[in-house]
Amino acid sequence: MKLLLVEDQAELAKSVKMYFMAEGDVCEVAPTFAKAVEKLYAFQYDVMLLDLMLPDGNGMDLLESVRTNWPGLGVIIISAKNALDDKLKGLELGADDYLPKPFHLAELNARSKAVYRRRKEGGQKGIGFNEIQINLETREVAVNEKILDLTRKEYDLLHYIIVNQKRLLTKQAIAEHLWGDYMDTADSFDFVYQHIKNVRKKIVEAGGKDYIKTVYGVGYKLKEEE
Amino acid sequence: MNLIVRITIIFVVVSLVVFAIGGVISFNIMMGEVQYEQRRFLEERLDRVENMIERRAPEDTIRWAKMIVYPLADIQAEKMVFSDTLVLHAQLGRIEPHLRLDAIKNHNNRSYAISLYDVIIEEDDIRDGLNTSLITMYLILLGAVLIIGLVASYFILRPFNLTLAQIKTFSLKDPNNGMILPKSGVSEFKRLNRFLHEMTEKVRSDYRSLKEFSENASHEFQTPIAIIQTKLEVLLNNDRLSMEEVEQLSAIQRATRRLSNMSNALALLTKIENNEFSEASDVAISKLLLNLLEEFKELFELKGLKLSSTLSEDVHLNSNEVLIELMFTNLINNAIRHNWEGGSVSVVLNESTFTITNTGNPLHVDPSELFRRFKKSNQSDQSMGLGLAIVKKICDFNGYTIEYRFAEEKHTVQITFRPSKQSV
Repeated sequence: MKLLLVEDQAELAKSVKMYFMAEGDVCEVAPTFAKAVEKLYAFQYDVMLLDLMLPDGNGMDLLESVRTNWPGLGVIIISAKNALDDKLKGLELGADDYLPKPFHLAELNARSKAVYRRRKEGGQKGIGFNEIQINLETREVAVNEKILDLTRKEYDLLHYIIVNQKRLLTKQAIAEHLWGDYMDTADSFDFVYQHIKNVRKKIVEAGGKDYIKTVYGVGYKLKEEE
Repeated sequence: MNLIVRITIIFVVVSLVVFAIGGVISFNIMMGEVQYEQRRFLEERLDRVENMIERRAPEDTIRWAKMIVYPLADIQAEKMVFSDTLVLHAQLGRIEPHLRLDAIKNHNNRSYAISLYDVIIEEDDIRDGLNTSLITMYLILLGAVLIIGLVASYFILRPFNLTLAQIKTFSLKDPNNGMILPKSGVSEFKRLNRFLHEMTEKVRSDYRSLKEFSENASHEFQTPIAIIQTKLEVLLNNDRLSMEEVEQLSAIQRATRRLSNMSNALALLTKIENNEFSEASDVAISKLLLNLLEEFKELFELKGLKLSSTLSEDVHLNSNEVLIELMFTNLINNAIRHNWEGGSVSVVLNESTFTITNTGNPLHVDPSELFRRFKKSNQSDQSMGLGLAIVKKICDFNGYTIEYRFAEEKHTVQITFRPSKQSV
C-alpha cells in the first residue's frame, strides 16, 4: 500500500510514517498543499491521508481537485476540527473516511487498509492470520474452514486485531475502535477483556491456536506461538 | 408604578398642601385688606360728618342712612371706637352684621356723638369664595398635570422606552442584531444611549473573542495531543520495553485520551451555547431510542444489567438530531456506568417525557449540583463529569426540563419535552 500523508505537523507526520513503514507500507509526507499536488502528479498512490488545515491552503480544495484528477485515489481526512459540518462536507466531496485527531495509529492503519481494499479493483476479499481467515465481503471468520459464530462486536474486534497483527493494541485503542469516543470509562476495559475472552474461546473451540497474547495487562498482540 | 405616575402623585400631594397653606394665607390677607378698607371708608365718612358739623352744628339728633349724630349734654374727650353690630339690612330685609364706628367729636365747645355703620363683607363669604376658586384651580391643575404626565411619558420618555425595547431584544449570540438606539435631544438619554452603545459593543467583542478562543483552543489542543498519542503508540510497539514501562506508557495514553475528550466536550458545550446546533428537524425519537438501546445491548449484557424498556411508538421531537442522540447516549451511558454489576435499568418514553432509572449507590454530592460541570459523585472516578452538564445544556437549549430523583437505591432522571396533556 502506498500512502501520501498531507500533514504540516512534522512530528505527527514522522510517527505516522514510521508506523506504516514498519508494516511494510510506503508512506510519503507532503507538508504543504503545493507539495502534495507536486507528489500526486509525480507518483502513484493508493490512499491519501489529508489534514484539512494546511499552511498554504484548505484541504477541502485539494480534495476537490483529487476527485477530479485522481478519481481512483482513496482519501481519509484527518482533522483536528472534530466538526460535523466538516465531516459531512468532506464525505460529500468524495472522501472515503473521516478520522478526527487525535487518533490511534492502529485505527488509522485499519481504516487505510479498508479504504485501500475497497478502492482496489480485484483486491483481496479476505485477510487472515494462519488458520484464521476473514471474508471481508460476508463478514465471516473461518478457522480451519469452520465458520465461527461471532457477534458483530466480536467480529469487529477480531478484524481489528488481525489488521493490526504483530502490534500492541492497548485496551484503550480497542475500546475506542469498538465504541467510539463515548466509552471513556474503566468499565470499557472490562468489556474489552470479556470480548477478547469470548473470541479466544471461540477460536480455540474451532480448533485454532490462541494467538492473542496479553501484553503486561495493558493490551493485546496477535502473534505466532513461540 | 412608573416614574411619571410617581412624580405626578408627589406633585399632586405637595400642591394640595401648598394650596391649603396658600388658602389660609390668602384668606388672612384678604380679610386684613377688607377690614382696613372698610375702616377707612367709615373714617372718610366720619370726616365728612365732621365737616358737616363744622358748617352747621346740629341741635338735635340727626338720623341718616347708616348714620346717627347727636349733640351731648357735656363735653367729653374725643374718641374713636370700632365695633361689630347687627343691623336690619334695608334692601335684604334681614339682620346682617355691620361694622360700626362710634366717635365723639368736639366743636365749638360742644361734644357730638357720631355713630356710623355699614354692612361688612362677611368672613364666611370670603372663605366660600376663596374655597371655590382654589378648588377649581386645583382641579384644573390636577387635570393639566395628568395630561402632561401622560403626554410626557409618551413623548419625552419615548426614546427611553425605545431604548428599553432594544435592550430587551439584545442578543449576544446574534451578530446581526446591532442595537439601533433612538436619537434623542435629551442629554440624559443621549448619555444613556452612548453608554449602552459602548457597553454592548464591548460585551459583544469580548464575547466574540472568548468564543473564538474556546473554539480555537479546543482545536489547537487536538494537534499536540495527536502528536503525543502517535508517539506513544510508536513507543508501545517497541519490543524491548519492560512491563513497568509499558504500564506507564499505557497510563499516559489513557490520560491523553481523557484530555482530548475533555477538550472536545468543552468545545461541544461552547458550541451549544453559541447556538451552533440551531438547525432543527423532525426527530423520530422512538426509533432513535430503539436503535440506541440495541447498540448498547451488549454493554448491558457484559455488565449483567437487566434492561426493561417501555417506549411509546411514534414519538417525535422537533430539534437537532445530533444533540438529541447525544443526550440519550449520555443518559444511557451514565445509567450503565453508575450501576452495580447485575443491577437494572429501566427506560420509559411517552409523548411528553423520557425517564431513565438505574440501580446504584447514593450520590455523594448535592443533587442540585449534579448537572454542573466537573461535578462528580466520586472524584476519583475516571469519568469527566461533563456528561450530565452536556445533557442539561441540551435540555436548556431545547426548553426541556430535567429532574433527578433518588429513592430506594434507584437513580431516576426524567426529561419533560413538553407540558403533559392533562396539565394543558
